[in-house]
Amino acid sequence: MLVQRSDVGEFRQRYRWLVLVAVAAFSILIGRLAQLQIVEGDLHRAQARRNIVRERSLATTRGVIRDSFGRVLAANRPSYSVHITPAEIDLETTWPRVMKVVQLDEFERAAIEKRISDIKALPKEDKRRGQQILLKVDVDRDVVAFLETHEKALNGVEVTPAPVRYYPYGELGAHAVGYMREVDAEALERLDERGYRAGDHIGAIGIERRWESYLRGQRGWRKMVRGIARRESNAEIDAKYLEEPRRLEPIPGRDISLTMDIDLVASIEKGMRGQLAGAVVVVDVRTGRLLAALSKPSFDPNVVSGGNGTKAVGAAFRRLNSDPLKPTMDKTISAAYPPGSTYKPFTALAALADRVTDPDREVDCHGGFEYGKRFFRCTGVHRKVNLHSAIVQSCNTYFYELGSRLSIDRLAAIGLDFGFGVKTGIGVNPEARGRMPTRSWYTRRYKEAFRGGFTLLSAIGQGATTVSVLQLALSYAALANGGTLYQPQVVRSIETSDGTVVQDFPPRVRRMVELDQDHLTMVKNALTGVVAEKTGTAYKERIPGLDLAGKTGTAQVSHVTPRGVDPDKVWYFNRDHAWFAGYAPSKSPEIAIVVIIEHGGGGGKNAAPVAMRVVRDWEKLKEKRVSAQTPAHPPGKRGSL
Amino acid sequence: MAGDRFSFRRGPMVDMPLLLGVVAILTLGLVNLYSATSVYIDDDSRARLADIYVTQIYWIVVGAMIAILVAAIDYRHYERVAPVLYAGGMVSLGLVFVLGKDVRGSSRWIQLGSFAFQPSEFMKIFLILMVAKVVHNDSRTEPRSLVDLAPVSALILAPVALVMMQPDLGTSLIYLLTCISMLAMMRIRTFSVLSLLATGAISMPLAWMFVMRDYQKHRITSFLNPEADKTGTGWHALQSQTAIGNGQLTGEGFMQGTQNQFGFLPEQYSDFPFAVFSEDWGFFGTVVLIGLYAFVCIWSIHIASQAKDRFGAALAVGVGALLFWHAVFNIGMAMGVLPVVGITLPLFSYGGSSVLTMLMGLGLLMNVSMRR
Repeated sequence: MLVQRSDVGEFRQRYRWLVLVAVAAFSILIGRLAQLQIVEGDLHRAQARRNIVRERSLATTRGVIRDSFGRVLAANRPSYSVHITPAEIDLETTWPRVMKVVQLDEFERAAIEKRISDIKALPKEDKRRGQQILLKVDVDRDVVAFLETHEKALNGVEVTPAPVRYYPYGELGAHAVGYMREVDAEALERLDERGYRAGDHIGAIGIERRWESYLRGQRGWRKMVRGIARRESNAEIDAKYLEEPRRLEPIPGRDISLTMDIDLVASIEKGMRGQLAGAVVVVDVRTGRLLAALSKPSFDPNVVSGGNGTKAVGAAFRRLNSDPLKPTMDKTISAAYPPGSTYKPFTALAALADRVTDPDREVDCHGGFEYGKRFFRCTGVHRKVNLHSAIVQSCNTYFYELGSRLSIDRLAAIGLDFGFGVKTGIGVNPEARGRMPTRSWYTRRYKEAFRGGFTLLSAIGQGATTVSVLQLALSYAALANGGTLYQPQVVRSIETSDGTVVQDFPPRVRRMVELDQDHLTMVKNALTGVVAEKTGTAYKERIPGLDLAGKTGTAQVSHVTPRGVDPDKVWYFNRDHAWFAGYAPSKSPEIAIVVIIEHGGGGGKNAAPVAMRVVRDWEKLKEKRVSAQTPAHPPGKRGSL
Repeated sequence: MAGDRFSFRRGPMVDMPLLLGVVAILTLGLVNLYSATSVYIDDDSRARLADIYVTQIYWIVVGAMIAILVAAIDYRHYERVAPVLYAGGMVSLGLVFVLGKDVRGSSRWIQLGSFAFQPSEFMKIFLILMVAKVVHNDSRTEPRSLVDLAPVSALILAPVALVMMQPDLGTSLIYLLTCISMLAMMRIRTFSVLSLLATGAISMPLAWMFVMRDYQKHRITSFLNPEADKTGTGWHALQSQTAIGNGQLTGEGFMQGTQNQFGFLPEQYSDFPFAVFSEDWGFFGTVVLIGLYAFVCIWSIHIASQAKDRFGAALAVGVGALLFWHAVFNIGMAMGVLPVVGITLPLFSYGGSSVLTMLMGLGLLMNVSMRR
C-alpha cells in the first residue's frame, strides 16, 4: 500500500523561508570569497609565494694573502659541509641513508637526532623550523658525490661548499699572517649586523684579524622554490614564482699582498733551529717595511683554523695554551724585553749630543763601576776603553760612567726619539709599548727617593727599560739610514680578486730624529767594529766576507743569578736573553735585523750567529733575484701554490 | 516542464535541471580531484594517491546505478520500510563500536571483505526517511507542543549520540541540522521553539564540558583564534585561506595552485577540495561552483513544493538540507568562517561512502521530482 495523499498545505509558507536561508547562506559565502580573493588577494598571493620561496645564501671566497713576491701565504682549500634542515628530514627514510655515508659517532648522532625531533615538534609557523644545522664539515669527496646524485631522494639534506683556510707555509710567519677561528655566540651577537652567522670563521690574529673586513667578502643569496613539486624543470618553476632580483652575487674578499718575503722567513726559521724560543724581525731600513718576522715557538695555522677538524682545534689549543714558551704570542710585537747592551748606541748618542763626554776620553774598566755605596759589575775587565772600543767590547763600566753624567730623563728622551716606549703602529697583533723609565716613573713606582743607580742601569739597557723586538729593529733602521724613523708596514697593497690594485701603501715616515751626523758615524763605526774587529763581541761568530754591523746584548732577566755559575745550570727562565741588533750592509744599509733568543745566554755567542746566517741568506736571495731579473713586485703576475 | 500536463501523465520524467546540476558538480569534482592529487604523481611513497580519481569514478558509477534504482521505485514504498532501514542503520552504528576500525583515534568504519564503509554516512539517508515518515504521519494542523515532538526528538538524538561517541562531531552536527531543517517545515508552538533554543543554548556549554573530546574543543578554540594555534587545525585553516586568496580573480590555473602543489593543503582531497578548486580557478570559477550548489539546494526546495504528499516534500527538504549543510560547512571551514570539523564537500570530496550516500539521496530527490 502506498501512502495516502496528505495535506502539504502546512508546508507552503515554509518554502519561501528555506529559499531565503539558502540564498542568504550562499551569499555570505560568496561575500567571504570575494573578501579573500579580491580584497585580500594580493596579501594571500604574497603569503603563498613566501611559503614556497626560500632564500639560500651563496658563499663568498675569502681574499688570498700573498708575500711580496706573490707567493700564497693564505688561501682557500675547497671543502664541503653537510647541512640539514631538520623540519624537512624524514627520520624513517632519509636519515638512515644519510647516516650510512656521513659517519658520526654514537654521541653526536644521538644529539643531532634529538635536535631534529625537537625542531620537527615546533609549530609549523615557527621561524626556527626553517633553520639549518651543520651535520659535518669537510666531508669526503665520495660522500659529496653520493649526496649530490641522490639529492632528490634526500629532502632536507644540503651539501654546501665551505672552503677551508689553507696556509701553504704552515708555521712560517704564522703570527703575522694569523689564523681563523669559528665565531662564538658572544661575538655573533655583535657581528650579526655585518652578516656573520653561526659556523662562520673570522680572523683570529695577525693580518687575518686586522684586515678581516677586507678579506672577508660579502655573501650573496639566491631565491629558490622549495617543496615537492618537480614536474617542471627548475628553470620554469623559477621563472614563474620568483620575483626579481632572484640572485645577488657574492662579492669575493680583497686579496692582500704583504711586505714580507717568505723565503727570508724560511731562512730565519732555519737559523733559529736549535733554539727553544725567541723572535727575529727584519725591516727594510729605507722604507720601514717588515721583510720578515718570526716568533718562536710557532703553531700550525692550518690545524688551529680547523683544517684537520674541530677536535684537532681543541686539542691544539689545549697544547698551545699550556706551553710555558707561549707559542701563541707574537714575540716580535706583543712582548717587551730588557734590551741590554743593544741599547748602548742610544746612550752613546745622548752623551755625545749633550757633550758630556769626548769620544776619545778613556775610562778605565777594572771589572765594574763604583757608584755611591754600590758596585756595578761589568762583564769583564776591559782596561782603558773609549767610546768606540766600549761599544765594540760592550763595556758596561764605560756606560755606567756615561750614565752617571746623564739624567735618566735624558736617556728616556732619546729612547722616545727612536720610537721606544710607544707603539709603533704596525697595526697587526697587540703591541707591547715597552718602557723608557723616567724619574717620575720611578718615584711613582717605588714611592721612595730616586736613586742615581737607576740611571746607570738604564744606560746599559737594564733596570726597568724594556723594548719590543720590532721597536729595536726600527730604531736600528733609523741608525742605519741616518735618523729616519719609519712607520712599520706589513701590508704592501690591497687587490681585488682579479689582481687590480685598489690600495697601495707607500712608506710613511714617523719622525726624523735630530742627530749630529758625525756622532752617528762614530757610533756606526763602532757597530761595524763589533763584527769586524778582533775585540768585537760578535767577531768570533762572523761569516767571512759578510758585511754586517750591529750590537750584541746579553740582557739580565733575574736579579738573583750569581756570577760565575755555569749558565747551563741556571733555571731556564732565569737565564739571560741573547740579543743581536744590527743592519747590513754596513756602509749602505738596506736591512735592519734584530734577533732575540729568550733565555739564550750570551748575545755574541747565541744571537749573533743567527743574524749572520739570516743576513747571508738575504744576500743570496737578493743575488738570485737580480740574476733572475725578477722585479720585486711583479705586476699582474702571480705566484702559485 | 512543470506546466506540461501531458508529459506528467505520460509517466515519470527525469528532472533535467537537477540531473544537469548534479552532473556538473560531479564533473568539476573529478577534475578538481585530479588536480588535488596530482601532487603525488612524482612522490614514490604516495603515488597511489595520484590515482584515487579513478576509484572515485568507480564510486560515482556505482552510486549512479544505485541512484537510478532508488529513483525507479516509487518513493512511497520507502515510507513503509523506513523504520526497518532506520533500525538497520542503528544496528550498524552500534556495530561500529564492536567491529570498528580505528582511524586516527575514532572508529567510524566497518570492514566488509575488502570494502570498508561508514555506517554513519548511510544513516544520513535512513534518518531522513525516518523523520520524513514521522512528519508525514503527523497530520495535525495545530502547532506542535514539546510533548508532541518528544518521540521524533528521541529518534533523532539516538543516532546523534551514537555518532558523537565514535567520536564524529561533524556527522552528528549534520544529522541534527538536517533533521531540524525538516522539522522546521511543521508548525511548532512559539513557546516550544523558544524553549528548544534555550535548551540548545544551555546544552552547548554542557556538551563542551562533558561530551566533547579535547581535539574537538581544540578545533573550536583554534577557529576562534587561529593565530594562537599554528600547529594543527588552525594552521590548516590559515593555509586553506591563503590558497583561496591566492586564486584571486582568475585563479592560478588547472594544477597550478602552489598551495596545493607544494603540499601546504592538508587533506586536500577530502576536507579541503574547495581550497584547491578556488586556488586553481579563482573567483569566477568558484562563484560558478557555489552557484551550482545553491541551485541544487534551491531546486530541491522547489521539488518539495511540488511534491504531492508530506512524505515526498519532507524527503526533498531533507536531502536538500543534507546537501546544503554539507556544502555550507565545508566551504565555510575552508574560508575560515566556520570551525574545522571534518565535513565533506558533497559530490566533490573523495570517499566511497560519501559519494554513495549523496547519490542515493539525490536519487530520492529525483524520485520525488518525477512523481509529483
